[in-house]
Amino acid sequence: MEFDKNSTLKLAKLARLSLNDEQLDSLEKDLTSIVSFIDQLKEINTEKIDPTSNSLNQDLILRDDIAENKLSNEDLLRNVPDSELGFFVVPKVIE
Amino acid sequence: MNNNWQTVIGIEIHAQVNSKSKLFSSSSTEFGSAPNTQVSLVDAAMPGMLPVINKFCIEQAIKSGLGLNATINNKSIFDRKNYFYQDLPQGYQISQFKDPIVGEGTVEIDIDGKKKIIGIERLHLEQDAGKSLHDQDPNMTFVDLNRSGIALMEIVSKPDMASPEEAIAYVRKVRTILRYLDTCDGNMEQGSLRADVNISVRKEGDELGTRCEIKNLNSFKHIGLAINFEVDRQIKLIENGDKVNQETRLYDVSTDKTRSMRSKEDAHDYRYFPDPDLLPLNLNQNWIDEIKKTLPELPDTKKIRFINDYKISEYDADVLTQDKSISEYFEDVATNRSTKLSVSWVASELFAVLNKLNLTIDKSPINSKQLGSLIDEIENGTISNRAAKEVFEEMVTSEKSVKDIINDKGLVQISDTTEIEKFINQVLIDNPDNVQKYKDGKTKLLGFFIGEVMKVTKGKANPGLLNQLVKKKLDN
Repeated sequence: MEFDKNSTLKLAKLARLSLNDEQLDSLEKDLTSIVSFIDQLKEINTEKIDPTSNSLNQDLILRDDIAENKLSNEDLLRNVPDSELGFFVVPKVIE
Repeated sequence: MNNNWQTVIGIEIHAQVNSKSKLFSSSSTEFGSAPNTQVSLVDAAMPGMLPVINKFCIEQAIKSGLGLNATINNKSIFDRKNYFYQDLPQGYQISQFKDPIVGEGTVEIDIDGKKKIIGIERLHLEQDAGKSLHDQDPNMTFVDLNRSGIALMEIVSKPDMASPEEAIAYVRKVRTILRYLDTCDGNMEQGSLRADVNISVRKEGDELGTRCEIKNLNSFKHIGLAINFEVDRQIKLIENGDKVNQETRLYDVSTDKTRSMRSKEDAHDYRYFPDPDLLPLNLNQNWIDEIKKTLPELPDTKKIRFINDYKISEYDADVLTQDKSISEYFEDVATNRSTKLSVSWVASELFAVLNKLNLTIDKSPINSKQLGSLIDEIENGTISNRAAKEVFEEMVTSEKSVKDIINDKGLVQISDTTEIEKFINQVLIDNPDNVQKYKDGKTKLLGFFIGEVMKVTKGKANPGLLNQLVKKKLDN
């Protein structure tokens, strides 16, 4: 599968990445090669096989409903660029 | 203008599971805590953190599914729904896409006595997002992740509703069922239950029209107003030769209008895929059967039982079963007591007080035992209905027992024949003219004599007995 400029741009937009032309070209090549590599899987006939969402032969591990707050507000916000009154502060997002 | 136009409505309800901890982390779900104090490393999406699912949330989803007459899927899968937003630190919401935990079901609604079945498409488990505050600073948005990761059940209906009334009845009914099941507290003010409403219009017999989705409606009133506005807007567009755009819209409470949410325009490409951090959820049929055994009596069944057992009207049964706590309160009161008195004291007198004080029945100032003893005093003739109202009013603000209030206020009814006769004799002596008129055939004056006796006894004469005795005296 070819990854053209439009699909690369769309992907960048969805991930909120701002890329210049040089970066876009380079990503386009990388993505095409990655997707082509994975596309090889399409050659296998899976008609009679149930879709597998996970290859581990194990059941989902369940947790009991016990509440505990281990992380303090101070520790949570230790690495953030901006915070105030205990909130994360980010550039204005208008609805 | 609405000639031949049909409205088609489908609803997604987001109901918060009433668990103590979040869906994939142990952080507390407590409402109203200080911002960002219930956020774990998993909720904050720190690198390398892995989600571990809450067993209780799975049980609650199964229970809700069973309550909605739905099939429970023995295998379901968790997917990542990818989008970029400041209240979603992972960059994706863990949800269920192709294989939800609960499949098709049904809910019965009642519009003016006409029943209608609304289809349920599915119910799936997913994470709630954090909360953004836009009004704290002119240039910045404040984010609180306490809600981020709390378990939601998204309940998707089929597009089976045709009016705002049906839509409201549907959401009301689902809320009632979830509250009976005790899987969601249904508190719409706190956002524990909110609805996204999909609306389209078409001419009778036409294919489905293009739909718009109105997000995050959190009251029955707003659901109705938003639908009315949106239906008018779509019809006007089409009648003017324009087209309805498929889009997400927001209902503005201050103007009662809906407007486009541009921010969501690009977000439709969610690129769902199975979450590699989570194995498929395989449900053992025994577990489902065990949960089935714990289901309480649901509102539809209870309503029929109330009609049959207590011989009350469908309307009264509806009112008394709309809420589990109300139905339990009523049954406490009505057991071994007059149904008629119980219905009227609960559904009229008590509800009026609760409405006035803006309280739910759980916070009622008069508990079922106290109301029961008041009815006992009416039934055994100690007080009249009128006196009971006075006692009831006092009970709202007083801690005193029913008996003490009756004694303190001197409301004990006079049910002693000799004593009542004494009062009657006095009234007859004082009113010889009217006695003569009565004897001459003006029997309507009976009410006058009764009124006079009530006046001198300050309303305490047993009315049934008084009536009987006055008649006997005059007719002799």
